[in-house]
Formats: sequence, C-alpha cells, structure tokens
Amino acid sequence: MPQTEHPITKRQLGIGLAVFGGVGTAAALAIDLLEVGREGGIGPAQALALGIAVAILLVGLSLIPLGDAPA
Amino acid sequence: MTSQPQRLHVILMLAASLALGFALLIYILYSINLIQFPFDYDQGEGFEVHDSVLFSRGELPYRNIESYPFYSSNYPPLFHLMAAPFVWFFGPGYWYGRLLGFLGSLLTAGAIAWTVHHEGRHRWIALLAGLAFLSSNMVYHIGPLFRQHMTMVMFETLAVVVLARAWPRRQTQGIALGLLLLICAGYTKQLAAITALAAVGWMFLRRPRRAIGWAAGFMAAGAAIFLALNIASDGQWWLQVVVANINEFQPRQAFGLFDLWFKLHGFLLLPAGLLLVYETYFARLSIYSVWFVLTALLGGIAAGTWGAGDSYFTTSIAAMCILSGICLSRILSHRGDFRPKFMARALPGRRIVSLGLVIVPILYLGYARATLKMPTAGAFAALAQALNIEANVTNGFFDSATFNVGGYARIGYFLTPQDTQAGHQIADLIRQSDRPVLSEEAGFSMVAGREVIANPTQLRNLYLAGLYEGRQLIEMIEEQQFGLVILRAQFYPLPVLVAIGQFYRTEAVIRMNGFDYSILYPKEPAP
Repeated sequence: MPQTEHPITKRQLGIGLAVFGGVGTAAALAIDLLEVGREGGIGPAQALALGIAVAILLVGLSLIPLGDAPA
Repeated sequence: MTSQPQRLHVILMLAASLALGFALLIYILYSINLIQFPFDYDQGEGFEVHDSVLFSRGELPYRNIESYPFYSSNYPPLFHLMAAPFVWFFGPGYWYGRLLGFLGSLLTAGAIAWTVHHEGRHRWIALLAGLAFLSSNMVYHIGPLFRQHMTMVMFETLAVVVLARAWPRRQTQGIALGLLLLICAGYTKQLAAITALAAVGWMFLRRPRRAIGWAAGFMAAGAAIFLALNIASDGQWWLQVVVANINEFQPRQAFGLFDLWFKLHGFLLLPAGLLLVYETYFARLSIYSVWFVLTALLGGIAAGTWGAGDSYFTTSIAAMCILSGICLSRILSHRGDFRPKFMARALPGRRIVSLGLVIVPILYLGYARATLKMPTAGAFAALAQALNIEANVTNGFFDSATFNVGGYARIGYFLTPQDTQAGHQIADLIRQSDRPVLSEEAGFSMVAGREVIANPTQLRNLYLAGLYEGRQLIEMIEEQQFGLVILRAQFYPLPVLVAIGQFYRTEAVIRMNGFDYSILYPKEPAP
C-alpha cells in the first residue's frame, strides 16, 4: 500500500525563506558592521546581496499566513 | 459568425506570428552564414574545437598548463565528446559544433512549445512561445556557436519538462531519465548546477522524503563521474574546471545585463511573473516557476563574473517562454483555475478572455519588436528602411540591444567574404613560419595545420588565482622560439604580455570579424 507523503506547506516554505532571507540580510549588513576588509559604505555587490536577501525575507514572511496549503 | 474581437485577435496573432517568424528567418540565415565560417567568430570557440580534437584522439584536455603546449580546457566534456565523432570523419572544424548548437536551440524551442501546449492547450500560443525563445537576442547570439552553452540549455529544458510530468505521477523511469538529463546538462557546462538545484528543490516541495532519496542517488552519480575525471586527469580536472572558473564579480556588468534582460524580454517577463505570483500565493508552485526564479536570479548574478555574459540568462529565457506561454494560454482558454477566488467577481472570465484576445498577441508583437535584429543592407535594405532602422553595430547590422552593455556579446552580425579572406591571410602567415606560433585564437593554427599552443584565458584565470607561474612560456617568448604571435583581446597573464611586448613587435594588424588581430614578429632575428 503506497504511503502518503505530505508536501511542504506554504507556511513551512515561508518560514524557510524568511530564515534564509533573514540570515542573508544579517550577513550582508555584518560585512559593514564587522568592517571585513572594507573602507565603509555599502558597495554595489553588497547592495545586490542585501536587496535579494530582503526580498526573500519579505516573500517568506508573506507566505507564513497561508498556512497548510501545499507549496 | 466571427465577432469583431475575434477577427482582431486573429489579425494580431497573424502579425505576431509573422514578426516572430521573421526573427526565425534571420536566425536561420545567421546560422547558415556562421556555419560556413572556418575561424573563430566568438573568442574561444577554437579552443572548444581543439577539446573535441583531443577527445577524438582519446586524450583528456585537462592538463598542466605550466609545460608546453600550455593548453587546458576549462569546460566539462560532454559537448566535446558529442562533436568528437565528427572530428574522425571531417577533421578539426567549426561547422559541426555550430550545427549541434543550432539544432539544440531548435530542440529547446520545440520542447518549450510542446510543454506550453500540454499545459495550456492552445496551439497557437505554444508555437509563439517556441518562436519567442529563438527570437531572444541572447539565444540568437549563442545558438549557432561552437559552444557548449546551448546544448546545456537543451538538456536542462528536456530535464525540467520530463520531471514536470514524471515526479507528480511517480514514474520511476521518467524521474531517472530527468535526473540523467540533468547530469548530462551539468557535464556539458557547470552552470546547469542552478537548474539541478531548482529541480531537486521543487521535487522536495512536493514529496520531501522521496526527493532526498532521489537527490542522494543523483549526487552520487554526479560525484562518481567527477572523481573518475579527477583521477584520470591526475587532479587537473579540479584545478582547470573548478578553480579556474572562479572569477571576479563585476557588479556593473551584472546590473547592466539584468537591465538589458528586462528591456528585451519585459513583454513576456510580465505574464511569466504574473503566473509566478499566482502559483506562489493561490496555487502550487510548478517546476517552471522555481526554475525561472532560480535561473533568473543566480544565472543573472553569475552573468556578472569576468568571462561570463548575456548567455547566462538563456536558461531563464527558456523558463520565461514556458511560464508566459502557459499564463497566456490559460487566459485565452478561459481556464477557471487561473483566477484567485476573490477576483472572480471583479474580473469575470469573459472579460478576461475579451481583453486577452487583444492583449496576448500584442505582448508577443511587442516582444518581437523589442528583440528585433536584422541586417540593414542588401536584400534587407528596403525592409530596414520601411521599419525605420539603421545599422547600429558591426557589418551593417541592427541589434535592438546595441553593443553598449558590458558582458553583452558583441556578435550576431553576418560575416562577409572579406572576413574569411582575412582569416586565411592570417593562416598563411602562420604557414610561412617554420617555428611554433602563439595565437590567441586556435582557429588560425588549426587551419594552417599547426599545433594549438596555450589557452590564454585559462592561463589568466589561474595566474590571478596564484596558481600559474608561466616560467616555461615566458622563457620561450624571451628566446623568441615562437615565429609569430597573434593577439586580439590580450587575455594572456600580465607577465606573458610584458614578455611579448619586450621581445616581439607588431608588424601588421588584420581586421577580421570586426576585430583587429595584431601580428607580432621577433624584434631581433632568433639565433
């Protein structure tokens, strides 16, 4: 008898994306805060990374209220 | 009786078909023109021919570049293995690799059309979706080149199409075939790792436990090939194919290419994005949506690295054509599952279809105009005049993307008999020398029947990584052991270029294919 396997839900996907985006945002900002080989200020590559990370975070947060609907 | 909107719809659809059909005609003419050209059109093609030659002899092209002939490939083997049988029958040449790339692009377009028809049940939109892929400036460039890129895109697209059907139906053979196609894509070009991530990620969303099992098998198969190649090449596979491909990221190039990608494809990115949002919030994510997001995002970022370029968007364009095609088919087919419930009252299905009858063909027409490229002289002069366009790039050619964005390949125009003559002129100079020749492009040496020496970008990349010293090559230059040095983009590492500058002088500059080739001879007669 085939076993039923539950798909990832929108809430789970949302949490995953929010965590990933949050960590990415923190990491992109930490480069400046920790001054890792930087003169200061957000460079273009860092801005790109930050923008993408924030977008992933926001998409993730917006998915969480959608609950158990399959992703 | 046909209604007025229906008649207008048919007229506009015919116009869109004509416009995208014209793009296909230009693509075919460009491919025929290019396939006949026996030299490098895009810098580096000749080295891929040489890789195929080495494979045809049963030799690996992953070699130590410190010793003569200082040559190594930086690409996986599958495309060159596919071309190797042609070497047995026809010798070194460009035409069969370019033909393979061209056929790969047609097969990809066919797979896109088939998928759109299967998912959207609208034949005309399916046809336009396939044609839209071939109309993209970024696809047009890379399609008929002796390059692995289009073959990789073909394998990726086929893999996604197969998995999209097989995974939900739990078809073991289909899933295995889809993953095998992904391995083929990865061993054609490394960039396919993004598609593999997207496919496995989507499988995980649908059935996480089973996906982990399949992914483990998939990774084990890929890793086994990787290890075998590394052992067979005495570790050079890792150095030449992995380490040498880690280049510096140039944000301006990435931003410029993202901007250009949107300007060229905006008409279809819009419906693709619409379906993506719909699936994300109101339905289930399809493999096409996950594929589209990851290849657009990660492929676009990768396009900003040195040596990369607009071709890195090609996979995302295939995904865009599928997604937009499905979206527009569903609009025209009045599929009830396409509207979120809260919108059903505000936007009745009939109204959507009525608007769609006009908007859908206009989107394809706008896309055809945005991606327009064509010769402006000869048989096309009258049409160019009627369309009010003038040549804006090399060899009397109009390219809607222009050549102003860094990383956008400055190719696509047609070659002239003068370009072929110029190539043979350079090959004749090589034949006149009785010593080895250091040429930045391999084609001249191959046509002259000489050994291919050094792959300049490979030397450069490993030099910048601190993994190439180049003593033997520099010694040979200082001792003027090369009868001739041919430079175009000067991609050699700085110390090599300095040595060339000290011991060789430019005696001629020959223009071929829109680029200047400097011909350098030893400054003093060699002893």
